[in-house]
Amino acid sequence: MELLALAIFLVALALIALDWGHRTSVAFAGAALMVVLGVLDQEHAIESVDWATIGLLAGMMVIVALVEPTGIFTYLALRVTQVSRGRPVALMLLLAGVTGVLSAFLDNLTAILLVVPITLAIADMLRITPIPLVLVQVLASNIGGTATLIGDPPNILIGTHREELSFTDFIVNLAPVSLFTLVVVSVLLALVFRRGMQIDPERARAVEQLDPAADLRQAKHVKRTLAVLGGTIVAFFLHAPLHVEPAVVALSGATVMLFAAADEVENALERVEWATLFFFIGLFVMVGGLVEQGVIDDVATWLSDITGDSSTKESLVILWGSAAGSALVDNIPFTTAMLPVVDAIQGSEFDEGLWWALALGACFGGNATLIAAAANVAATGVLKRAGHPVSFGRFLAIGLPVTLLSLMISTAYLLLFQL
Amino acid sequence: MPRLRDLPLVDASVRADASVHEAVSALFASRSPAIAVLDAEGHPVGVFAERDLLQAVFPGYLAEMRHTSFLPDDSAALDELARQVRSRSIGELARTSEVLRGDDSQVHAAERLMHTGEDALPVVDGERFLGMLSVAALCQARLDRAQEE
Repeated sequence: MELLALAIFLVALALIALDWGHRTSVAFAGAALMVVLGVLDQEHAIESVDWATIGLLAGMMVIVALVEPTGIFTYLALRVTQVSRGRPVALMLLLAGVTGVLSAFLDNLTAILLVVPITLAIADMLRITPIPLVLVQVLASNIGGTATLIGDPPNILIGTHREELSFTDFIVNLAPVSLFTLVVVSVLLALVFRRGMQIDPERARAVEQLDPAADLRQAKHVKRTLAVLGGTIVAFFLHAPLHVEPAVVALSGATVMLFAAADEVENALERVEWATLFFFIGLFVMVGGLVEQGVIDDVATWLSDITGDSSTKESLVILWGSAAGSALVDNIPFTTAMLPVVDAIQGSEFDEGLWWALALGACFGGNATLIAAAANVAATGVLKRAGHPVSFGRFLAIGLPVTLLSLMISTAYLLLFQL
Repeated sequence: MPRLRDLPLVDASVRADASVHEAVSALFASRSPAIAVLDAEGHPVGVFAERDLLQAVFPGYLAEMRHTSFLPDDSAALDELARQVRSRSIGELARTSEVLRGDDSQVHAAERLMHTGEDALPVVDGERFLGMLSVAALCQARLDRAQEE
């Protein structure tokens, strides 16, 4: 039965990685097979779903759906373009910065879907290719999303799985290394790409004449919608002292937003990514099967054996192993499977460093290949529809060196400050 | 009750190797919101609707955006895009769509038009193209019949 559980999970991972069938269908099929074939019973299947994660994701999806119509994201992207005054390096750094910060407080897939179309319009106006700008934004979104509990799905999974880790803990422990990595990566990429990014000063002046606040002025209830968004972010910072779960903060924020925003409730709920929520449910059930059959314990024991129970070695193996796993398959299923593994490795004594290693590895690993993170797939999809296809190889040529550099920075960070 | 083949179907079609410019002319001349794209044997292989034309003639990223008040009409960029689109064959831009059958009921056609979101669908007998049925033509047929009775 242990081998059956492992086989179902590995086949599902392979199908997701190869994009053979919708990932939600694959995860649900794997979950159904595990229950039907008796890997775990239905009570354990339901118990294995982490409803806090589902609640946090759903709440944030509603909030973003209601904030987006205000036009604030368009305003930010256009404003930084104007501030860059046609200097390619400045434009890349500022767009990377905005995307990174948005990704820290929204999820990175959402941030990418919001900013990439605007970047395409800006590149069109400036008569430059959008590909370098969008690639830098995708990489920045995966790095920026690492900074907070709500920024990237692996962090959401970790933050809702371990109550000991608060929103502030994520900021304190991950934001500095994320910010440093974001600056280093963005500067290097801007220097690499700047030759092909010469901007005609006349075009730059034309962009400076645009009115970035045009949509903000036309949208309804902008101030109160943004106030609720700000209040929700503040509440995330305070969730630990107030003894409130992050999921409760997100769902409460979403509830207040439904009253405050201009959009109809039905419209907001239509934009919730239900397929993603069901994907997570399917994954949780499959991982529940692995836990039930002892696969996770075996993996944890093997990891402890090869690291000789050294906390430093364990953290570094988790960091680099998670990055490799996330690069080859999607970082969401990989992290979901790693949660109980890290639980087992640390035993009864809570070891924060192991969780930061997992977060850094899974999030930064998302930059390595085109399929490693949902944001990569989404951004290259938008580029392709706009007539600018990016091949797997071209993404890899940029993403892999960036990932290796990010992991080297993370290794130094963990060794200096966490281990 | 007349079946679809008895309704005023519009012979709005173009061969797949026709240019976009020819297809747009056919679209205008037919006064149908969509035309069928046919293969060399005259079998429908896709449709080309006004909405497809809009997305081809204007930048594709507009479909992904919700805020465009700041965007000016950049005539040079739009002209270049239009030049590129004109030289393409309509077969490249056509998309597959549902087809209705000549013996389908009007109620079925109404339901399919509602749920596909199309303004017109091709009607076929076997593989033979009978014509395009538009929302306007279907509804006008209903209103005219009620008037006669």
